[in-house]
Amino acid sequence: MAKKAKSRTISVRLLSMAMTGYYMTFTRPRQHRPLSMLKYDPVVKKKVLFLEQKRGGSK
Amino acid sequence: MAAVAHEHVRLAQSLPRQLLHFFKRFPPPQLSPGAPPPRPQTVQVVSDTSSSNPNAGGATIEVPADDPSPTPLIQNAKWKRNPFLAHKNPTTGNWHAPHYSLRRQADLFRLAVEYNVLPLMPESPKHPEIKAAKRVEQGLRVKGTGEGQRVKGKYWERTLKSRLEVRRKAMEAMPDMIRTWKETGHGRGWKKYPRGRTLPDNRRKGRGVLEYA
Repeated sequence: MAKKAKSRTISVRLLSMAMTGYYMTFTRPRQHRPLSMLKYDPVVKKKVLFLEQKRGGSK
Repeated sequence: MAAVAHEHVRLAQSLPRQLLHFFKRFPPPQLSPGAPPPRPQTVQVVSDTSSSNPNAGGATIEVPADDPSPTPLIQNAKWKRNPFLAHKNPTTGNWHAPHYSLRRQADLFRLAVEYNVLPLMPESPKHPEIKAAKRVEQGLRVKGTGEGQRVKGKYWERTLKSRLEVRRKAMEAMPDMIRTWKETGHGRGWKKYPRGRTLPDNRRKGRGVLEYA
């Protein structure tokens, strides 16, 4: 039986680099480069860098 | 002598029913005619709750001295002089509960203070002086803050300091990181992405403590 085809897009988690544990979830094309953006972190009440969490491993 | 007896009668007539009944059943040694006042003996009652002594109240209580000839009758009389304290039968080793419950003791002491007969009352954990001494000794004691005690606290409380330190260091490095990120084309060519570190099994709640890789 053929394997189920992988979806074209994936949902990824962007973590706050303020190390507050705050994160946001986005959807991006699977082949796209990892997301990164400046967003507001309500814990430190500042705009900080959010980077995409590495996938795989325990996920 | 007659004047003293008359005074006692007048005192008895002025007392409420509960106190009168108590003094009838357990006459105070001060009022018994011809009897020398009992030699007080200091008994240190430790506040250790694990102690098997039911009189443990964390106070020093003065009880009448032991009689030299411990016949059953005298033992009974000695116990009756302290109907507010638990009594240990020296023969059998059994503890007997106080004749009056703590609630009734408190009621009696409240009345005794009101009718000015506190000096006639036997020692008890509900005695105002003993209660005040206990309050002075213990102060406003909060559990876990005494000598040799510590508060364990919740997990977030125990780890708060280190987590705030990690956050502070990250925020100090944030402007540099953002500048680098902008210089590298807003993420193009960015290689260092974080990896979510999973918690131990007993702390796993779906969202892990994050580690920058």
